[in-house]
This record gives sequence, structure tokens and C-alpha cells, in this order.
Amino acid sequence: MIARMRRPLASLRRVPRTGWLVFLVAFVNVAIWTAVIPPFQVPDETAHFAYAQYLAETGKPPPQGPVEQFSPEEYTALGGLHFFDVIGHPQDRGVITPAQDQSLRAALAAGPSPVGPGGASSITNQPPLYYALAAIPYWASPSHNILDRLELMRLLSALLAGLSVLAVFLFVRELFPESPWAWTTGALVVAFQPQFAFTSAGVQGDSLLFFASAATFLALIRAYRHGLTRRRGAWVGLATAVGLLGKLTFVAFVPGILVTIGLIVWRSKRGGRRRAAAGAGVAAAVAAVPVAAYGLLNATVWHRGGPTGGGFAGAATAALPGHKVISLHESLDYTWELYLPKLPFFNHAYFPYYPLRQTFFDGAIGRFGWLDYGFPARVYSLAEDAFVVLAVLAVIGVWRSRRELMAVWPLAIGFGVMALGLMAAIGFAGIRYLTLTGYAFEQARYLFPLLALYGVFVVLVCRAAPRRWAPALGGALVVLAMAHGLFAELLTVSRYYG
Amino acid sequence: MRVGEVVAGALALVALGLAITLSHRAPRDAGSNHVAPAMFAATLARGGEVCQLNPYLPPEAASAQIVIGTYGPPVPALGLRFTDPAGIVVSAGHLAAGARQGPVSIPIGQAKDPASATRVCLEIGDRAKVAIGGEGIPPDPSDEVVNGKPQAGRISIFYYRAGEESWWSLFGVIDRRFGLGKAGFFGDGTLPACILLLLGTWAVVIRLLVAGGREPRK
Repeated sequence: MIARMRRPLASLRRVPRTGWLVFLVAFVNVAIWTAVIPPFQVPDETAHFAYAQYLAETGKPPPQGPVEQFSPEEYTALGGLHFFDVIGHPQDRGVITPAQDQSLRAALAAGPSPVGPGGASSITNQPPLYYALAAIPYWASPSHNILDRLELMRLLSALLAGLSVLAVFLFVRELFPESPWAWTTGALVVAFQPQFAFTSAGVQGDSLLFFASAATFLALIRAYRHGLTRRRGAWVGLATAVGLLGKLTFVAFVPGILVTIGLIVWRSKRGGRRRAAAGAGVAAAVAAVPVAAYGLLNATVWHRGGPTGGGFAGAATAALPGHKVISLHESLDYTWELYLPKLPFFNHAYFPYYPLRQTFFDGAIGRFGWLDYGFPARVYSLAEDAFVVLAVLAVIGVWRSRRELMAVWPLAIGFGVMALGLMAAIGFAGIRYLTLTGYAFEQARYLFPLLALYGVFVVLVCRAAPRRWAPALGGALVVLAMAHGLFAELLTVSRYYG
Repeated sequence: MRVGEVVAGALALVALGLAITLSHRAPRDAGSNHVAPAMFAATLARGGEVCQLNPYLPPEAASAQIVIGTYGPPVPALGLRFTDPAGIVVSAGHLAAGARQGPVSIPIGQAKDPASATRVCLEIGDRAKVAIGGEGIPPDPSDEVVNGKPQAGRISIFYYRAGEESWWSLFGVIDRRFGLGKAGFFGDGTLPACILLLLGTWAVVIRLLVAGGREPRK
């Protein structure tokens, strides 16, 4: 028994020291971002904090009634920070004078209640795992000041970002075991990606989603490379369970995970197929049990409208309030137009712009705050030109890496299904949000569960170069990513303090 | 090609870009009254005065920027006056007639106790017709008062520091602002601490890159 318990620790000890250094770099980088970004200036941080605070204070998820979303304490903080004046107004700096700071602290010192009614927000239908984790630093904070607690909760997100980058490091290592430079290059480019760092620096459920996604990619490739044993099956199941209980978006990965596991079992050698099937069974059980327990709690303890009431039902229904129904045809049109040019025979034109470029690509280069500031326009044009070059290099890199890639071709199918599932889920939610509110839903960060594949993309770019030049090209790309992150931080400093 | 040489060259380029960016001189913000110039929130048909509460006059303010629309003609003479609850002038400024309509900068005097300013009044000369940028908000005690009559709206004021400054020369100011409105354990010195941490991470990354993925020596 004790020996079994030691196994996960032994797995951690097998992580190369370089991997831990990469983890540390990513954690510290995001921790710096947590200090740079003023409180609540990460998108939806107000609602994520409110969920975590409600759970920390009451021990249960928000009941989601038509009442106030935030606690009196949070409303007081938002007022003192001039939050509603700052978001959407890039000229407005927020609290930058001692008088404003004193006014904020005096209002908080009056002791507004940290317990709100838990009203419905865009976040309250999410499962509670991230918020339960965030409740730990909330209560561990020696100070009960909301701003101190928020900062410690942000550091939890930074820790998850570090773990995500470590998972990317190990994922790239499994794919290119003979190229140690590739492991650091792929992971460090992710670590310094400024939109990833910015999002991960907030109290934001996405940070757990990013980690669970990267961990799932890692667990699957390890299961393929080394065999789907019961232990590796348990890791796949655990990563899946964390994702499913972390954010609903992860549901989009489930078909791809099932396909990948199916292919792993099918590809197992005859003698090992039974063992792989047992591993798949363990994976399913480890993933299903916590999710079922969550459903049971939803229905019986938290009374959130049945086992799927915590959001799973909403994620799978075509109906909208007011008896509106979105047809499959409309959903498909919308999803296509999100990523590809509209075809002449499409009935609907949903976007007056090209979302793949303006939402996803430019958004990944940097749309910060509540999407209210970014780089000068010429930076995006330059980045687009550079990306075309990188994409061509990546194609060459695929050809030059065909030996390694052919060895994992079933994974390419499984991961492809996972990516398509995510893209489809964004379209599914996007058309509903657009129909209900009239506003665009999509943001670049919604694709960040695929960050492990971004790390591989960068390695493939480097592999386009002759073998002995590839590490140097990797080094140059990492420095480019660091510079990208640095200038994004300077932009943020000038936005809020300059 | 050696990784170290490539990384060193790339870092030199980054340092050059950083130096150019941080040396750029421009007028720098001192704060605002947290009202955006989203619309014309006050219209004065024949000059007069607009007053409102809570000007949030910052200590470093050397000018106040207000969006003025004149329907074409040059902006008339403008006077700006900040007063404390007793009506005593805390700071004041004046701009001669002739500016172009749009964002207009009014130089103001250094206030000894800017936090005591609770009311601001903008005086429009020449009986000119002007519209002033701000926000239309629901009726509130802090609403603007146009020629003695309360109106539902607030005019926008952005404050600027004196002259043009580079980011280098603004470092001390940014460091002070950096610790405000955040966790209590942040304060002056947080920004330099962040910079040191960042340099530390960069040093580790450079070491990793130069090692080429090999395990660094213990």
C-alpha cells in the first residue's frame, strides 16, 4: 500500500531538473503578472472571485438565483477601485493617487459582508473544482482583506500555469525524446505567451482548464508510448476528471479522449490488448466517479436543478430562453465561419470580419484587460506576416520530423478530434451567446486548452532548420516570446499606471 | 551556429527596442475624475458655468483636459476652478480663446492640498454655445450643475503632468502608483522587485537555452 502511494512521488522525481526549472520560470513569470494587473482586471475575474468567495464562505456553490452576483465586500472593493469606470475605458487608470487608495481602504475597513446571495452570473453554472481550490488560499490568507485574498488566489492560478507549462515540457519530451532542446523550447514559448500569462494571472477557472488539458495530452501520449496500464489509465482518468470538474469547456475534449483511448487499445499488441482494455476501464472509472458524485451533490445537496444542473445540461441543449431554437444548420454555418472563409452558398453571414485572424490570432498576440487595450495595429500586421513564415517552416518541420510523427499517427487522429471538439464547442456556445445578447462570444484564450500543440508547433518550426541550427532557432524563438511577454507587461504598466 | 551567440544577438535587439520604447517622451497622465468623454453631457447655449462634485484632483496635475465642442468656431476663453467645501479655491486655471474644438488642455496651478478639492467649475466665456464631453448618468447628487440648474450627467476631466516625460523619468511615479489599490503587502518597491524577479527568470532561461536542454550542472 505504502509502495503504491510512493509511485506518484517517484513519477515526480523522474521529471528532469530542467523541467522543474521551466516550471519555476513559468510560475514566477505569471506571479509577476499577478502583481502587474490591478485587481479584477482579468476578464470575468469579478465573477470567478465571487464564486470562489461564496464557496469559501458557505461551503457550497452559488445557488444562482436572480439576485446580486457579488458580496457587499466585493461591490465595495469594485466601487473603491473605480472598476466600472476603468473597464472599457483605456484612458482611465483606476486607483493611482494616495487619496483614492485611502478612500478604498477606508470603505473596506468598514467591514462589508463577504457573504453575498450567490446570484447567477456567466460563471455560476460551472463545476466547483477550481473554486474549491481557490478557497484554500482564500482561507489561508493571514489577512481577511479582500485584496490580499485576491492576490493569494491569483498565485494559485500562477501555480497552475507553472504546472501547465511543466505538462507541455513533458508532452514535448514524449514526442521528441532525442531532442532535449525541443522540450525547453516548446515549454518556454508557452510560458512566455503573454495572453496565456495574462489570463492565468487572474482568479480565473481557465487556469485549471489549461492545466487539465495539458495534463490530458501528456497522459494520453504516455499511455500510447509506454502502454495503457492501469496506472497510466488512472492518470488519464484523473486528468479528465479534473478537466470536467474544472470547466465545462472540457466536455468538448471527451469524444477525442475516447477516440484516442480506443486507438491505443486497438493498436496494442495482441498480448497487451487485454491489459490496455483494463487500463481504459480504469481511466473511465476514475473519470466517471467524481463527475457522478458531483451530479449527485448537485441534485441532492446543493439543489442546483438536478444532476446536470451545474451546467452540463446547458452545455448540450439547443433551446434558448424565450423558446428560441438554434438549428444544427445555423450552428454549423457559424462554426465554419469562425475559422474559415464563408462559402458562397451559406445562408448566414455572422461576422463582418474574419474571426480566425481578428479574434483568435490577434487575440493571441494580445488583447488585454477586459479586451480594452492592445498593441499598436502595426504589431498585429507584423505578427501575421511572421506567422505565415513560421507556418511554412512548420510544414517543412513536419516533413523533416516524419519519422517521429509517424510513430504516433493514431494520436494525431485522437488529438485532431479533441481540437475539432473544442472548436465546435466554441461555435456551439458562440452562436447561442450571439443570439441571446447580440455580442460576440469568442476570445483567443478559448483555444488555449490546445497549448500543448502550440508547443509542438514551435518545435516543428525549429526542426525546419538543419539539425545543428535547430536549437539556435529555438533559442531565438524563446527570446522572441520573452520579448513579446515583456512588451505586453510594459503595455499593461502604461495602461494602468502610466 | 552556437545557441549562445544567437541568444545574445536576440537579447541585444530586445534591449535596443526596450531602450527606444522607454525613451519615448510624451505628456503623461496624472489621473481623471473617472468619467469618460463618451458623449456631450452638457450644453451651454450662451456661455456660463458648469459645476460638479468629486473632481479627484491629483497632486501632480499641471493641466486638465476637457472635450469641448463649439459647432465650428474656435473655443472661447475657459476658466477652471477647484474649491474645497468652504468654497476656498484650491487650484485654478485659464485658457485664452482660440483653441480648436475637441480635447482642450487647460493649464492649472499646483494645489497645496488637492485632496481637499470637492467641487470643480468650468467657466465658458464670450457667451458662446458649447457642448462638453462626459457621460449621461441617472440623476445623482454628484450631477453637473449648468448655470445653477442640476442636470443628469457628468463632464469628463483628464489630468496631465507637466511637460513631456520619458518612461525612464516616470519610473519613481509608476513605482508609487504600482502599490496602490492592491494587496496590503504591495507598496513602494514592488515594481523594482518585479523587475529583479523578471531578470532572474530571464537569467535562468538563458542558462537553459545555452545548455541546449541538457541537465544544468548542480
